[in-house]
Amino acid sequence: MALIEVHELHKHYASGAIAAQALNGVNLSIERGDFSVLAGRSGSGKTTLLNMIGTLDRPDDGTLVVADHDVLAMTVAERADFRLRHIGFVFQAYNLIRVLSARENVAYVLQLQGMPAKQRLAEADRLLAEVGLQGFEDRRPDQMSGGQQQRVAVARALISNPDIVLADEPTANLDSHTGEALLALMRHLNEEHGVTFLVASHDPGVIAAGRQLYRMDDGRIVSREDR
Amino acid sequence: MSDSLAIYLTLGWRNLWRHPLRTALTAGALAVGIAALTFLSAMNDGWMQQIKTNFALTVTGHVQIHAKGFEQSRKLAQRIEDPAAVIAAVRHVPGVALIDRRVRVSGLASSAGASGGAQIYGVQPRLEARMSRLASFVDKGRWLTDKDNHGVVLGDGLANSLEVGLGDKIVLMAAMPDGDIASEVFRVRGLMHSGVMDIDDLLAVVPLKSAQRWLGLGRAVTDIVVRAAGFEAVAPLAAQMRRILHGKGLEVLSWIQIDPMAEQWAEFADAYTWIVLAVVILVVLAEVLNTMLMSMHERVREFGLMGALGVMPVQMFAMVVWETVLLVALGSLLGFALGGGASWWFGDKGIDLSHYASAFSFMYMDPIVHPLLRAQSVAEILGAAVFGAMVAGLYPAWLASRLEPAQALREV
Repeated sequence: MALIEVHELHKHYASGAIAAQALNGVNLSIERGDFSVLAGRSGSGKTTLLNMIGTLDRPDDGTLVVADHDVLAMTVAERADFRLRHIGFVFQAYNLIRVLSARENVAYVLQLQGMPAKQRLAEADRLLAEVGLQGFEDRRPDQMSGGQQQRVAVARALISNPDIVLADEPTANLDSHTGEALLALMRHLNEEHGVTFLVASHDPGVIAAGRQLYRMDDGRIVSREDR
Repeated sequence: MSDSLAIYLTLGWRNLWRHPLRTALTAGALAVGIAALTFLSAMNDGWMQQIKTNFALTVTGHVQIHAKGFEQSRKLAQRIEDPAAVIAAVRHVPGVALIDRRVRVSGLASSAGASGGAQIYGVQPRLEARMSRLASFVDKGRWLTDKDNHGVVLGDGLANSLEVGLGDKIVLMAAMPDGDIASEVFRVRGLMHSGVMDIDDLLAVVPLKSAQRWLGLGRAVTDIVVRAAGFEAVAPLAAQMRRILHGKGLEVLSWIQIDPMAEQWAEFADAYTWIVLAVVILVVLAEVLNTMLMSMHERVREFGLMGALGVMPVQMFAMVVWETVLLVALGSLLGFALGGGASWWFGDKGIDLSHYASAFSFMYMDPIVHPLLRAQSVAEILGAAVFGAMVAGLYPAWLASRLEPAQALREV
């Protein structure tokens, strides 16, 4: 079975008299080890779909299985625990907890999982070195550049050894050079360590890097391209 | 400390200092409130301790032993015939500091020009000077000595109504145990002024032996008066004396049973302090609630991020509550240090309120108040503050725990 199975997913949002169909029958299948990119213009449903797969939001209709779990049958607490153990997130901005250092941000997930302090801090340092941030362990987010902060976010997303990392416009707030470096890092982690990525982006660089490219429009996946 | 508590405290403490000025202002307001409450409470406790002490030791003593029914009847027919035996039986009860004996009777005082009702006390002059404050109230003439067979010390109000002064003669009349009236001549040796009307306008103090002889009592007395080592010793001491004297036709009464007024004052003052405490805590906690709500609304995205990472709603809730508790603990400790320090300083030096308080001497108040920091009062104030913090933190914590991660992450 695929790592992620999405079938006929629907979601609409309503605010007063205004209603929007964010997802309109999405079907998707992601395998372990994929580096998949969701592309599409703003409002096409990329973030909504990532939120559904990441169990941050619930669809109106459809089925969704992630890592052999029927996530739509879960309670709020079960979904939180599922995210903690199976999913890593990289967001566009405001990715880190401002009052924690880089090391503490990365180790926070392991702390939630109950790992002893010494072990989790050592693991955090190892991953920060992996993403090229050795020497930055004690810096707080406001003492790092945007690219460095996103690298910390990637390290945090990986630290619990998740089934998949969901990245929503990870390069949108970065300059092109930093964005390329981050993308290279993600590709390296995918190719060398087998980490599965699902990235939503309209950045041409990211779109070009995807090994599976899904184009979205009006809440539907309109094309799939394997490279 | 558990790991999860450590992260709550770390996050809470660091979050407080995201806006140092706001945190300082809120904690400062809380500190001023707690300091004021601590000092007010210490003033109140000091005052009440003073009133209780003055009240109990002005005349009454901590515990009195009478013949059963005397406190109601006030008749010499109900007397203790062998006080030495009673004193021997209770002298070694733990907590007893001093034991005295008295004759107490209502009578009539007359001078050449006037007469009036009087409360007549027969006392052992030297021992009474250690038992009660009566001797200290003498402001004209002197206190009695053991050789003053016919000396009397009068309240200055009584002396005025009798139109007598030092060295003048008066006649005291009272009913003997058999109901016959007996009278005796005394010479005024001293005048007392206490500010307490019952003393100044009514009291005539004579030597015990004179009173016993004059009233035909032999060795009998009406009161055995006990001074305890402290107020906390009174109840157990009285209880043990009741057990020892059970079945001997005697009653053992604590000062509160003899006159509950001072205790009622203390209870009233406590209630008043609690009302002030509630108002101050409410006002300050409204400020804390406001601060926490502002802080929460500024961090909606961060709460969304935490939710996305797998922080459970209950953990989010606990995190915000702990943050509130830390804020209140900071303000409370600062406030307690200020208020406690001031109470300690003035507890030693005293606060001179003679300009304001002399009119209240009838309430057994001293003009110099020594604030008293009681562990129970401190625990009540700090407990109320922390409890209030928990309550103030509940609403923001509930809001944080209810945030949908996806929606929170969309907040700007």
